[in-house]
Amino acid sequence: MAKEFNVPPVVFPSGGNPVTPASGPQQRRLPTAPFQPPRSSNPGLPFLSFDVNSAAASTSFSAAPQFPSTIGGGGGSANFDDEPPLLEELGINTKQIYQKTLSILNPFRINHYLHEDADLSGPFLFLMAFGLFQLLAGKLHFGIILGWVTMASMFLYVVFNMLAGKNGNLDMYKCLSLIGYCMLPIVMLSALSLFLPQGGMAIMVITGVFVIWSTRVCTGLVVELANCGDEHRGLIAYACFLIYMLFSLLVIF
Amino acid sequence: MYDNLGAQSGVPRPPNSAQPNPFGNAFYGASSGFIRGGLGAYGEKILGSSSEYVQSNISRYFSDPQYYFQVNDHYVKNKLKVVLFPFLHRGHWTRITEPVGGRLSYKPPIYDINAPDLYIPFMAFGTYVVLAGLSLGLHGKFSPEALNWLFVKGVVGWTFQVALLKMTLFSLGSGEAPLLDIVAYAGYTFTGLSFAILGKLFWGYAYYFLLPWTCLCMGIFLVKTMKRVLFAEVRSYDSSRHHYLLLFIALAQFPLLIWLGNITLNWLV
Repeated sequence: MAKEFNVPPVVFPSGGNPVTPASGPQQRRLPTAPFQPPRSSNPGLPFLSFDVNSAAASTSFSAAPQFPSTIGGGGGSANFDDEPPLLEELGINTKQIYQKTLSILNPFRINHYLHEDADLSGPFLFLMAFGLFQLLAGKLHFGIILGWVTMASMFLYVVFNMLAGKNGNLDMYKCLSLIGYCMLPIVMLSALSLFLPQGGMAIMVITGVFVIWSTRVCTGLVVELANCGDEHRGLIAYACFLIYMLFSLLVIF
Repeated sequence: MYDNLGAQSGVPRPPNSAQPNPFGNAFYGASSGFIRGGLGAYGEKILGSSSEYVQSNISRYFSDPQYYFQVNDHYVKNKLKVVLFPFLHRGHWTRITEPVGGRLSYKPPIYDINAPDLYIPFMAFGTYVVLAGLSLGLHGKFSPEALNWLFVKGVVGWTFQVALLKMTLFSLGSGEAPLLDIVAYAGYTFTGLSFAILGKLFWGYAYYFLLPWTCLCMGIFLVKTMKRVLFAEVRSYDSSRHHYLLLFIALAQFPLLIWLGNITLNWLV
């Protein structure tokens, strides 16, 4: 007498179904789409069918058939229409970036309220633009720019927090964000340097002006945004001056 | 506002067994800064493990760096005058001590012109790197990798100067000055060096006058400073050895600064 196994029925592509012992009702919906998944699939295993119109997805993905764009579903994730727009999800607020950029353009009035929440996407944009202008000048400096910005912001972070003492609250994110935004004059310098003769007096003078512009804006923002910066304004200004002088070396040579 | 901002631990004394925990003072009121968090963690690791003797020695060697950044504009201007024209400094070279919590410690730099600080050395080092890059660029040899190598050369020079001062202290029987003090004294060379390079940028021949001047001034500054440090540190006083070693420090400035000031792409000359 053969032993009875509770084996779910196996379907072979060539033949019909073998004789199955009564092992419970198995509801199997045959796929109706042109692409037919191989029939040897064991219905106990969830088989992902990627048919757009297929109603025969495996039983474990209940939400899948009606939403062709979500493959495999994040089980319970929102409806496609409810998802936030991509830029918002990434945290890139273009309007704010535009406003912050405009505020940097005026070196004489420093509006620090805009810069209170730091973000890195504006600086990233500026650094890419800087790299792009350098590339147009024939110098491949992308990695160098990113590395130097990191080093420079660590330098400013250490110097500012040490000078400010116990109450210094400039954090690394804000520091990086400020240095990146105040890089705007240097980016403009690198764009200008494409049109001016290299090593000439004109570019040197313009470099001086733009570096002082950067320094002024950066010092103003750092002093306003973090505590206890006021009495060390000159000392911080010199640190910022060194940083932007370093980047201007990349541009003019 | 400036009171009890972590005055530097320890006018040096021979260690005795019942030392109060120096890290209590050093990390008082640590802010949320990452540096202090990192140092705090380091301090806790040391505290958690070993004996008081080790603790007292660690604090002696690596004192609270916040002390060295208590500076203001007035201090920076006057200290630059002292470093660049040390023979014009009227008055004594000793550091002022004050009793803090039962121990004698040195006053922070804002109150005492003779105290070392770390702001000027760091800024001078940055100025050196930037000016050297500028000088390379004006001769057409600039590249970002060259600037990285300049940074390394500066660090090597600084380390060499620190080693020189530390060797002097060791060979006279005690090396007990805090390491950051020695680092600060060594870093002052970059101020004079930066001025020499700035002069070279404006007029080539000015360099041949400014560099020996800088070497001499740095020699005088270090000799006077080390004399005070030695008087405070060393227990036995052996006059002739002292003087020979101080002379050696002053003479060793010349090759060191000539090497650091020679800005070409040949890193060993």
